Amino acid sequence: MGLNPRVYLAVAAVAGLIGATVIAASPAKTAPAAKKSYGFVVSSLFTAMNDSKYMDECPEGLTESNDERWLRNMTPEQREKVTAGGKRTHVDRRLAAALRGPNGEDVCWNPELVKDPPMRTVQSGTSFGMNLDGTTDGKATAKSCAHQKFVGVDGTPAVDNQLFRLMGCTKGWRSDGYIENSAQTERLDISQGIILVEVTDVDDTRNDDDVKVSFYRPTDKLLKDGTGAVLTYVSYQIDPTRYGDTAKGRIKDGVLTTDPIDVHLPFFGNVVISEMYLKDMRLKLNMAADGSSAKGQMFGYYDWETWWDYTRKIGLAVIARHSCPALYEASRRLADGYPDPVTGECTALSSAFKVEMVPAFVVHPNIKTAQAH
Amino acid sequence: MIGVSLRKYLRAGLAGVVAVALSSCGPKEPAVSGGSTVVRQITEAQYRNIIRDVFGSSVTIIGRFDAPGREAGLLAVGASKADIAPATLERYDNLGRSIASQVMEEKRRANLVSCTPKAPKEADDACARDFLGKVGRMLYRRPLTSAELDLETRIATEAAKARGDFYAGLEFALAGMLVTPQFLFIAEATEADPDHAGLQRLTGLSKASRLSFLLWNTAPDEELLAAAEKGDLNTKRGMERQIDRMLDSPAVEAGVRNFFSDMLGFDAVEQLAKDTIIYPAYSSTVANDLKEQTLRTLVDLLVTKDGDYRDIFTSRKTFMSRQLAMVNRISAPTETTWVPYEFAENDPRSGIQTQVSFLALHSHPGMSSPTLRGKAVREIFLCQAVPPPPGDVNFDNFNNAAVAKTARERLTVHRTNPTCAGCHKVVDPIGLTLENFDGMGQFRTTENGVPIDVSGDLDGQPFEGGVGLGKVLHDSPAATSCVINRVYAYATGRAAGRGDVAFIDYLEKRFAADGFRFKSLLRTIAESDAFSTVAAKPASQSNKVAFDASGHKELQP
Repeated sequence: MGLNPRVYLAVAAVAGLIGATVIAASPAKTAPAAKKSYGFVVSSLFTAMNDSKYMDECPEGLTESNDERWLRNMTPEQREKVTAGGKRTHVDRRLAAALRGPNGEDVCWNPELVKDPPMRTVQSGTSFGMNLDGTTDGKATAKSCAHQKFVGVDGTPAVDNQLFRLMGCTKGWRSDGYIENSAQTERLDISQGIILVEVTDVDDTRNDDDVKVSFYRPTDKLLKDGTGAVLTYVSYQIDPTRYGDTAKGRIKDGVLTTDPIDVHLPFFGNVVISEMYLKDMRLKLNMAADGSSAKGQMFGYYDWETWWDYTRKIGLAVIARHSCPALYEASRRLADGYPDPVTGECTALSSAFKVEMVPAFVVHPNIKTAQAH
Repeated sequence: MIGVSLRKYLRAGLAGVVAVALSSCGPKEPAVSGGSTVVRQITEAQYRNIIRDVFGSSVTIIGRFDAPGREAGLLAVGASKADIAPATLERYDNLGRSIASQVMEEKRRANLVSCTPKAPKEADDACARDFLGKVGRMLYRRPLTSAELDLETRIATEAAKARGDFYAGLEFALAGMLVTPQFLFIAEATEADPDHAGLQRLTGLSKASRLSFLLWNTAPDEELLAAAEKGDLNTKRGMERQIDRMLDSPAVEAGVRNFFSDMLGFDAVEQLAKDTIIYPAYSSTVANDLKEQTLRTLVDLLVTKDGDYRDIFTSRKTFMSRQLAMVNRISAPTETTWVPYEFAENDPRSGIQTQVSFLALHSHPGMSSPTLRGKAVREIFLCQAVPPPPGDVNFDNFNNAAVAKTARERLTVHRTNPTCAGCHKVVDPIGLTLENFDGMGQFRTTENGVPIDVSGDLDGQPFEGGVGLGKVLHDSPAATSCVINRVYAYATGRAAGRGDVAFIDYLEKRFAADGFRFKSLLRTIAESDAFSTVAAKPASQSNKVAFDASGHKELQP
C-alpha cells in the first residue's frame, strides 16, 4: 500500500479572510503572528489490517466466498456445466455465483434468503485501533454493545476494531487483497472519492492546543505525476454543496489529534460511489515540523448502513472472496457501536484506517485570486 | 514627447502648424539609405491566422509545418532564408485540399462563396471569377493580375466540368491557390520613391503586408488593402491612420504575442523535455502554461497597460494557472483557467527572467544550467552573441558530485580549463544568480544540502538573485537597444546592418522619449521612412518581384 510515501504540508493562513484557506497579505509588524492553514489531499486510504504473513490471526483459514458456496451445492455434472468444464474462472462466474437464492435471487442484495455457515473472523488479539468506547473490557455501554477488545499494535490496551475482526480473514480486504488495493488505485485514477483535509487556526505545527480540522470534497481532478504519485501543492476548489464537517483538534509534539466528530467523507472504490459515515471519528496524524509530511490513522464507528451499501455492491462487481449472507450476518453480529434505541442492535463497526496525505491548496469559493503562502 | 491624445488631436488637422512646431522638438528620423526587400515564407501562425481571417475559425487546420530556422535571433528573419522541400510542399498541398474541401462544404459555402452559380452542377465562369478574385485578393495580399484570375477561373471551370459540380471546381482551384508561392511567400514589390530621389519604396500593397504582419501577424484586412489600393499608404497621413487603427485593435495582441514568442524562443517549448522523476510536476500542460504565462504578462504590461518595456524585467505582476500555481507553490482558484497574480515585494520572482518559461527553457532536462541561462540573458535580452562550446569539453570534474555540490562549485572547477574559461566567465556570473530556481524553475534555497549563493554580476555590475538581475537589465541601455533591433528586424525581415546605424540610434532616442512604451516603438518603426524605403539596385537585381500565373517566380525589370 501507500502509492506515494512523500507527504508534505502546505502552508496557508486565514488572517482576515473569512472562510479563506490561504495566506493573506503580510500582517503589520505589531500584529500577532497570523494563524496558518495547512491543506492536504488524501493520497492513500486503506482499512488498517494487522494481518500476518502466515495468517496466524485466521486459524480457520480464509472466509468462504459466494463462489465456493455456490459450487458446493452442485453436483459434479452441474459444476462441469456452469464452469464450462472448469474454464470459466471465478471472475467470470462472479455474477452467476451471487444468484444462489431459493429462486435464483441475488444473495448480496437479499442476504437473508440464504443461511451460510458462520463467517471466519479474526481470532488474534492484536490490532490497529483506538479505544472508542472507553471501556477496558468491551462490556456494553449506552453507546456500545458488548464486544472483544484488542491490544493495540503499539501496545495500547483495550482498543476497538470490529471491522478488522470482521474482514481480516477475507482475502479481498487483507493488505494484499484486491478489494482494498483496487479501491485505492481507482480513486487516484478516476479522481472519485477524493478527500481534502484542511487544518486551520494553527499557531505552531509542533504544539498547538486549539486547531480545527475540516473535510471536503474537491471539484477538481486529482493531479498525478508520470509515475502515478499524487502531485504536491496542487490547488483544489472545494465542493461547497456537500461535506465540510469540522472537528476541533490539537497538536502535541507534532501529532495532530481531533475530538470525536460524526463525519461524512466522500468514498469511492471498486466502481461503487459511496460515502464513509464515521461516527465519533478521530484523526491521529504525524505532521513534520516543516510541514513536509502528514501520515497517520483515522478511527471511528463506521455506520453499518453506509458500509454495507458499499460492500454488498462490490460483492456483485468483483470477487471480494466473501459470502454475502455470511458477511451480512457476521457484520451485524459484530457491530459494536451505537445500539439502536428500539432493538438494541448495534448499528456501527469500530474501525481504523491508515491515511497518507500530500500537501495541497484547499481553495474556498470566495477566493478569486491566486495567493502566496 | 507628444502625448497620444494630443498626437491624435494634431493629426485631426486642427492645429497643423502647431503640430509641425511640436513634432520638431523630438528626435528626428535621419536620412534613410534604404534597406532591402525580402521574400519571406509565411509562418505556421501566419498561415493559421490568414485562413481563420478569410474562412473563419470553424475551418480546422490539421497538419505539420516545418520547423523554421532562426537567423539573427528571430524566426522572422530566418523565414527569409526558407525554402520548400518536396515533402513540405506535399504537406501544404494536403492542407490546401483539406481547407478547400471544408470551405466548399454545404454548411459553409452559403457564407463563404460570394455568389450563387446559375446551376450547381455546371461551371459558372462569372461566379467562379468573382469568388476566386475576392478570396485570392485576401490570400495573396493583393488583387490577382488578370492573367492569374483568368488562369484560376479556367482551372475552376475545367474542374467543374470534369466533376459535374460547380463547387468541386472552386474547391480544386482554391486548393491550388493555397500552394502557390503568391500565398506561401510574402514577396515585396517596390516602386520609385518620389520623396527620396534615387531610392525605391515598397508599393502600397507591400507596405500593407509588412504593416499587417508586424502588428497583427496576419494578412492585411479589407480596410488596409483598400487603403493600399487607393494609394493612402503612400501618404504619411494615410499610414498614420491605419497604424492608429491597427494599434488600437485587439488584434495587436496577436502581433505582440508572436513577436515575443519569436524573440524569447518559445518555439522550443514544443520540444522542451524534463526528467519527470526529478521534476514530477512537469507535464505538457505545464509546458504550454509556462509559455502562456509569460505572453500574458507581456501583453498585459505592454499592450493593455501600455507600460514601460524595461518593466518586463522587474514587474511582479503576472498570471497564474492551476498548473503553474503548483510549480510556484501558491494557490489558485480553479474556476477559471488564468487569474491575475502579483508576487510579494520580497518574493524571489519578479520579471520574466524569473518566470518558469525562461528558467525551464534554459536548463537541462534534469538540472539547472547557469551557463545556458547566462547565455540566454546575453543573447535574448542583450542581443550579444556567445560562441558555442568546443566539441571536446571534458565534463569529468563538472559532473563529480564529490568534487562540487553546487553549480557554482562545479563551474569554478570547470573554469580551471582555460579553453572553457573564456566564455564561462561571460555567462556564468549572470546565470548563477538564478540558481535558486531549479531546472524546472521551482524555487529552492539549497543544492545537495548546501546553501545556494546567488551573487553575481553583469559586466562588472554586481547584484543578487533574479530580482537583482532584473534591476540591472531594467537599467541596461543594451536591453532596450536589443529589443529595438529585434523589432526592426522582425518588421523588415532582415537584421539591421551598417546602413541602419543612424536609424537605430534614432529609434533608441525615440523609445526613451516615449517612455519605453512598446506600442510607441511599433508605431515609430511603422511610421518611419526606413520601414518602407528600399535601396535602389541595378535593374537585374531589382526587388520588383512577381510571380507569373503558374506560380513561377520571375524578376521583372
